[in-house]
Parts: sequence; C-alpha cells; structure tokens
Amino acid sequence: MFKFLALAFLLMPFTASAGSYPERPITLICPYSAGGGGDTATRMIAKLAGDMMGVKINVENKTGGGATIGIGAVSKAKPDGYTLGFVSTSPITIRTHMMKAPYDPLKDLSYVGQFVASSQPLVVLKDSPYKTLADLIAYAKANPGKLRWSTSVQRGGPHVAVEAMFKQEGAEATFIPFKGGSKVLAALLGGTIDAAMMSEGNKATLDGLTRILAEGTPNKNPVDPSVPILTDAGYPIAPAIFFGLAGPAGLPADVLAKWDEVLAKVVETDEFKALADKRKWTLAFAGHAAFTKTVETDYAAAKKAIAEIGMK
Amino acid sequence: MDLILEGLSLSLSWESFLAIVLGVAAGQVLGAIPGLTASMAVALLIPYSFYFSPWVGIPMLMGMFKGSLFGSSTTAILIRTPGTPAASATVLDGYPLAQQGKGAKAIKMALYASVFGDTFSDICLIFFASLLAMVALMFGPAEYTILIAVALASLGMLSSKPAWKGLLAMLLGVTIGTIGLDPITATERLTFGNPELEEGIGLIPMLIGFLAVSEVFRQMESSLADLSGRAIQFSKKRADNRVSWAEFKSCIPVMFRASALGTAIGAMPGLGSTVAAFLAYGEARRTSKQPELFGKGSLEGIAAPEAANNAVSGANLIPLLAFGIPGDIAAALILSAFMIQGINVGPLAFSENPVPLYAIYGALIMANLVNLVLGFGLIHVSRFAFAIPRRLLLASVLVIASAGSYALRGSLFDVQMVFVFGILGFVMIRFGFPTVPLLIGFILMPLLEENLRTVLLLASTYDNNLLFVFSRPAFNVLLFIVAVILVLVGWRRLKLRRLPLPPFDS
Repeated sequence: MFKFLALAFLLMPFTASAGSYPERPITLICPYSAGGGGDTATRMIAKLAGDMMGVKINVENKTGGGATIGIGAVSKAKPDGYTLGFVSTSPITIRTHMMKAPYDPLKDLSYVGQFVASSQPLVVLKDSPYKTLADLIAYAKANPGKLRWSTSVQRGGPHVAVEAMFKQEGAEATFIPFKGGSKVLAALLGGTIDAAMMSEGNKATLDGLTRILAEGTPNKNPVDPSVPILTDAGYPIAPAIFFGLAGPAGLPADVLAKWDEVLAKVVETDEFKALADKRKWTLAFAGHAAFTKTVETDYAAAKKAIAEIGMK
Repeated sequence: MDLILEGLSLSLSWESFLAIVLGVAAGQVLGAIPGLTASMAVALLIPYSFYFSPWVGIPMLMGMFKGSLFGSSTTAILIRTPGTPAASATVLDGYPLAQQGKGAKAIKMALYASVFGDTFSDICLIFFASLLAMVALMFGPAEYTILIAVALASLGMLSSKPAWKGLLAMLLGVTIGTIGLDPITATERLTFGNPELEEGIGLIPMLIGFLAVSEVFRQMESSLADLSGRAIQFSKKRADNRVSWAEFKSCIPVMFRASALGTAIGAMPGLGSTVAAFLAYGEARRTSKQPELFGKGSLEGIAAPEAANNAVSGANLIPLLAFGIPGDIAAALILSAFMIQGINVGPLAFSENPVPLYAIYGALIMANLVNLVLGFGLIHVSRFAFAIPRRLLLASVLVIASAGSYALRGSLFDVQMVFVFGILGFVMIRFGFPTVPLLIGFILMPLLEENLRTVLLLASTYDNNLLFVFSRPAFNVLLFIVAVILVLVGWRRLKLRRLPLPPFDS
C-alpha cells in the first residue's frame, strides 16, 4: 500500500500536467544572435504565443557553430514541451550533409510547426543584359567560370539550389562568398558580382534596383509571381526556406496538439502579419505533420543534390 | 519646406524628446557594462515597438545606440574594460590618463569627441547621403584590401622597442584570428573539431579578457595596503578634471580627420567601427606634434578613436537610407523597426514620402545634444561608482567580465575564453610583450585575408589576371591617394630631417 502511494505520488506531477500544458514558463532557444531575422521572429512568437497560452515564454540566444549549438541544446533537452527552439532551413536540411552536427535532424528532433517560408529570389541588376533565367545560364555555359554570383549564406539552401541548377545545365559559375545579405546586395549594386539569390532581392526589386529572374523556394515569388520556381523549370531542388519551431524527439502528443492550435492562431494575428508583410516573409503555417514532411522531403533532396555537386 | 517642418515636428515633440532622453540614458548605462550591448536591448524591445507610435520607438532606438557608444568608453578609460569592441582603441590613452588621476578629463574628451563625430556624420548623412552611398558602392574587395593594408602599415608604427617582441605578438594575434571557418572555402581551421570554435574566437570575450582581466591579474600582485586604497583616484586639481578650451582646440583637427575617416568607413558595409577607431588612432599619432605622448595619456589619442567610432555609427545609416543596405547590426535593427512601423527606407523613400526621413534627421541631431548633456551626468555617477576600495573593484571586474561575456550569447565557452585571454595578457605583460600588436593582428588580419582572397577569387573570373583591379575607378583613385600620402610623408621627413616616430609603449 505504501509502495502504491509512493508510486502514485511520483506519478502525480505527470498526470496533473497531462491535460493542462503549459503550466509554467517555456524556454525558447534561438540559435541566432539577437537582432537578426530569426531572432525577431522568435521574440514575436514568444510574445504572441505566450499571451495566448497564459504563460511566459523566455527567449534564450544560444549561438555558434552555424546555429548547430543552439539546436543541439534543444535536441538534448527533456522532451516535456518546456524547452523548444527556433529552427531554420540551413542547420536542419542542408548543412547537416556537410558537417558533423551534434544531432541527427531526422532522429533527434520533433518538428512542432512552421510559421514562415521566406522567398529567395535570384536577382540581377535592373539594367543587366540578363533578362531571363535562360539568358543567365546561356552566358554561364558560353563563358565557363566567368559569371560571378553569391548568396547571403555560404553553403545554405539557395547556394545548393543554384549550384545544382548550374550542374544540371553543365554550366560553370564562380561563387564569391560574402558575410550576410547586405554585403551581397552592396557587391551586386557595386558590380563586383553579376547575380545573387537572397531574400533582400525582393525589397531591392521594389526599390527599382534589381530584377528577379527566378525563385529558389517552392512558393511563388511575392514580388514577381511570373518568374519560374527552380523546380518548375526542371531543376533538382528548391528547398523551403522556413522558420519553425522544434523540440527534442519524442514530444508528447498533447504538446504538439497545443502548439498546432496556437501557432495557427499566431500567424493570423495582425502583429505577426504586419511583421511578415514588412519583411517580405510569406506566412506559411504548417502544423507538426506537414512540417515534418517538408523537412523529410527537403532533407532527402538536398542529400542527393549535395552529393552530385560534390559540395563539402 | 512644409514637408521638412512636418517631419521635424514629428521627432521634436515632447514624447519623442522623452523617448530620446530615456534611450540615451539606457544606452549609456548598457554601453558601460561589458557584454551588454545596445543591440541586445534594442532586439528585446523591437517586438514591443509595434505598440508605440513610430516617433517614440525610433528616436528611442537611435538615442540608445548613440548613448551606448559613449558609455562604453567610460569603462574603457576607467577600468580598461571596453564596453564594446569599438572602444578598445580608447583604452590605449584613456587608461593611462585615469591612472594619472585625470580620468574625468579623459572621459570629457571622449564625450566631446563622440558628440563631435556623431554630429559630423549626421550632417554628412543629411546633406550627402546618396552621393556618399554611391561612392561607397564603388568600394569592393580590392579597395578594402588597399584600405586595410594602409591601416596595418600605419598601425605597424605602433610597435614597441624590441621589434621581435612586437612581431611575435602580432603573429600570435594573426594566428588566433585564423581560428574558425576559412573565409572562402568555409572549411574549419584550427578548431580541433570543437564546434564552439567554428565561428572563431568572439571579439568581445577576447577583448574583455585580454584588456580587463589581465589588468586585474596584474594588480592582484600589488601589496595589500595598495589594494585597500581607492580604486580610481581622481585628481583634486581642477585642470585635471576638465578639458580646457586650448586643449579642445588642439584636438579639433584630429577630430575632423577622424570623423571624416569614420564617416567614409561607415558608409561602406564591411569594415566597421573597431577598424575605424584603430585607423584614426594610428593616423592621429602619425600627424601629431607630440607623438611621444601616445600610449601614455594623449588627449588626441582619445579624441581620434572616439570621434571615428561614433562617426561610423551615424554613417552606417547612409547606405541604409540610400539603398536599404544596413551597414551594421545597429542599422539592421533600425531597419527592422522601420519595417515594423511600415516606414519605407531606401532609394524610393524620398520620392514616396520624405516626411519620416526629416523626422529621423531631427531625432538624430536631438539625440546628439541629449548625449552631451547626459554624458556629464554619467561622469558624476562613475566618479561615485568607482570610489570603492581597489580590492572590491578588482573582484567586481571579474564578475562583470564573466557575466557580461555569458550574457552575450549564453555560452560558458565564452566565459572560459575571457579567462584564457586574461592569463595570456597577464603573461605577455609580465614578460614585456606589447599587447597592442596582438589586438591589431587579431582584428585587422582576418579582414585583410578575407578581402585579399576574394580579390584572388575574382581574378579567376578575369582569366586569372590580377590586373583587373586597375579597371576599377575607385581602386585607381585610392592607389593614387595612397601614393601621394607616401610621397608627402617621405618628403616632409627628408625636409625636417625628422627621425622616425618614437617607439610606442603603453
């Protein structure tokens, strides 16, 4: 009898919490430093979702290792739903094929939900001779290695997508690395490079500085919906550039269900819509099931493409 | 004209004035605490700025950034702990002055120079933003390489007496700077498989450890009686606590040159305020009438880096307003605040709706004035704050150094780095190695490598012909300017039969 009581006592916190997640503050680990796009998104989610669930959501920046340190910390947390993290494309579906990450994206994480899919336009200068994607590829084929291009993150999703396109066409271009989208945009405007794939390209096009030739993610380009999506144009990969939340593998079903409900509401709030609109993010809510499928599909496609390009 | 008045009336209202005062005050305090940066505070506030009127939120952010740059120099001067990396050049002459009891004089000089640099770059922003931004865009990796090489050459003169020790210190700095991802191929270098090292050694933990913690270790050697004395003595003499008009006047040429340099560097995304501060310091010493005072407590040695680093932060808005390119993290945060408020910045902003831009100009100038006034308050506060026994101060510096470097990105590894570099700095001081060359190697060489190798990569797209750089107009102009300066310096030396600059030791 005593044993039974002790057991019941031990189990009590678990049974009590089962129906009422969350009942204490939640920690949201952001693997990027304060101030970036990922950080702004994380903080906005923390604030809105925290208000909805009636608990405080604390954001903790744990940066380094190309975001793998923060995500590694998420993967090792207790799977109770009180430690979750912000995840984006590169350290989940792309970089993990080229480096040793402290987690296996398919085994060590539960994907809670996606809330933003950013657009990655391939842009050239407004007065560039390349009017279409075909023009650009034709030049790269005729002049091996002479086309200079860049992306805001080296060896990220857009880098892999464009390399895979050149590879399939048998074209050769030179990737010039820069640290961050603003330096890439400056290099494009200053004539150091000829083309770039970066989210900044949408605003620059609205400002009348650049022209969009193609879209590197699976959704239509928000500024110029007429340009082709790389996979629609027959190229190997157009990975989703997502912002989402993940937790350690084995999150309880009630936690996942709660976040499915809350995240769907968060992306519908005026505050979040305004933020996404101004940042030219495409709001794309996907719950646990759909988000997990996106990750699995892109992971496999990126694995194949990266092996073919021979990127390390 | 109506539009200008409309814009100014937005930012010169009571609400925005209060917001600026609040922002500057918070910025000065945050800046003075190593590891806590205005960027962090702003990032925390941005989700809430949605609920403010734009002309409360944005002036507050601008005040915060301006205040933090000055705030970080107070600790750099008094306790050798730069609140932000940009203030590390201020340590070189500020700390010696504080040791001589002239801390208040040094901080006041820093304050005047900061406000001078801010105002200079804001005026450039207001009148020449699009012109400056156009010129800055012509600067690519080839031009950056020349600029950094010139900076290294002028700072190389900061080497101290036994040349081999300076060289060794610089090589060590260069080696530490290569840790992390290769800038071109992105393969790991000297990381020994440790993911913590993948992004390299953090500049802030390194500086805090190398400058502040090493000094704590050095002072811990002194006698107990010494340690119970006041941490920082402020001289009783009035002349030691103020900057006289004559002293200020003698620094005006230095501040002009440093502000111009800072504005130019700030207009180009990619070099940053720490580089500008060191470059301005080297330049001020080269042109000074009293170069032998540098490193021992020269007012010019404070005026130059302070004017330059503040000018950079104002000028970072130049590419932002002209092309929507944020020059640094502060400008990026201001951009996202604009976006949240639905204010468009970029080349179309003037033709679409210039009113917010005029409001921004008003807020910038107002923030400079507030920074000047509140700065005097901070000086008084810090005089009381540091009137504690030395032993207590030393312990607090260690606590602040650890907590601040942890707060930066929640990494215990950074705290370890603070102590590793504290020990390294202490050992170097004990064995008579100069510390400045190590800093210069660590800060400048990675930039030189990155840009030089990008130039080589670009050459591969010009049939492996490196001479492509001469097809760039900015490169030729820059090369010409450097050549003229070299000839002038050489000629002046020949004419004056002046000996080379005296050795630098701090």
